[in-house]
Amino acid sequence: MTAPPQKRLGIVVGAGSVKCAAAIGLFRVLQREGIRPDVVVGCSAGCFYATILALGWDAKRAAELTAGLWTREVTSKPDRLSMLRLLFPRLFGFNERFGLKSDHLIMQRLHEAYGDRTFADTIIPLFLTATDFATGEQVVLHEGRLIDAMRASIAIPFAFRPWEINGRLLIDGFLSDPLPIGVAIREGADIILAMGFESPHQTRITSGTRFAFQLSSIMTNNLLRASFAFHGTAHHDEIIPIIPEFKERIRVFDTAKIPYIIEEGERAMEAQMPYIRRLLGIGPGNSR
Amino acid sequence: MLQITITQQAHVTVAAVSGSLDALTADQLAAAFSEQFRQGRTHIVADFAGVEYTSSAGVRVLLGTLKEARQKGGDLRLAGARDTVRRVLDFSGFTSIIKSYPDVASAAASFPG
Repeated sequence: MTAPPQKRLGIVVGAGSVKCAAAIGLFRVLQREGIRPDVVVGCSAGCFYATILALGWDAKRAAELTAGLWTREVTSKPDRLSMLRLLFPRLFGFNERFGLKSDHLIMQRLHEAYGDRTFADTIIPLFLTATDFATGEQVVLHEGRLIDAMRASIAIPFAFRPWEINGRLLIDGFLSDPLPIGVAIREGADIILAMGFESPHQTRITSGTRFAFQLSSIMTNNLLRASFAFHGTAHHDEIIPIIPEFKERIRVFDTAKIPYIIEEGERAMEAQMPYIRRLLGIGPGNSR
Repeated sequence: MLQITITQQAHVTVAAVSGSLDALTADQLAAAFSEQFRQGRTHIVADFAGVEYTSSAGVRVLLGTLKEARQKGGDLRLAGARDTVRRVLDFSGFTSIIKSYPDVASAAASFPG
């Protein structure tokens, strides 16, 4: 009698700005338990962490790297040409390469963190998602330089201009699916640990920016739920949502709260471990 | 481990479920609901007060049961789900299609007499 094939484990880290650091807590638990996934998927800021896991870097290195990567400074410098194009579209030739913030600093930081590594350098197959600006389709990136894929996946509308890869102009992955579970399903994962985050609603609308953020949160959260519902009913095996509960409000650039965010991610993952062990057939003393 | 206790309240069948509803136990619940349909019972309340956890496999069983109950002219209604379980059901969009009540009494009373 042959043993049943081992279940393939997929990890999906969805969009969620600084909250995505909770994925480090998830990694800590995986490493402690000796569990190595078979496929990793990331979207938007979740890409930073999915990539770290796929490269085999440890949780400590991930925490150090993150603290200096996504801070308020990355959006502090305006993109003057885009501003002029916005104010005088005919004079300066407004086009789809529009973003109000300079991406120079975030690209510099991504390069310092990940260098020129490519998807071929990962030890676990990695898939990062972005969205085709022309069609709205989800684009799954699996080759080329990692920081190009990450830059495309974090091309936040209005903030960073879209990023071109292989002739396609790409924007933030959250616009097609904030928690791309479908990619893990397509790549053959049976058991999928999906770490997703709902976007916060604004408590007060005091500016055009907050108004835009509120609209974005409404649309993103509805898309997140609709997508999760579809994949949950369509998948042949198990999808386990790992949803940290943040008692404290986390804002987009609350990097000072990263230790707290990691703890909540670890707590959410720990809560699922007894079930995950049973699903993966992990007993005391053996790993996977 | 999942415990399922079936009781009858007038024309309503109450399935009191406790434990973890997941890929390892979902078939057990599906079989219990199928048995009710086989006996012609289609007005069903799932008492989830004792359910500690549900995963996508559990949601799929609820969805299948809900569709079959409605196709047969009845309904599946949810009672007493804990916040942790409700969160997964909300996140799955399931609470937009199932009628949900705080306890079994109100769920059972919601069926026409």
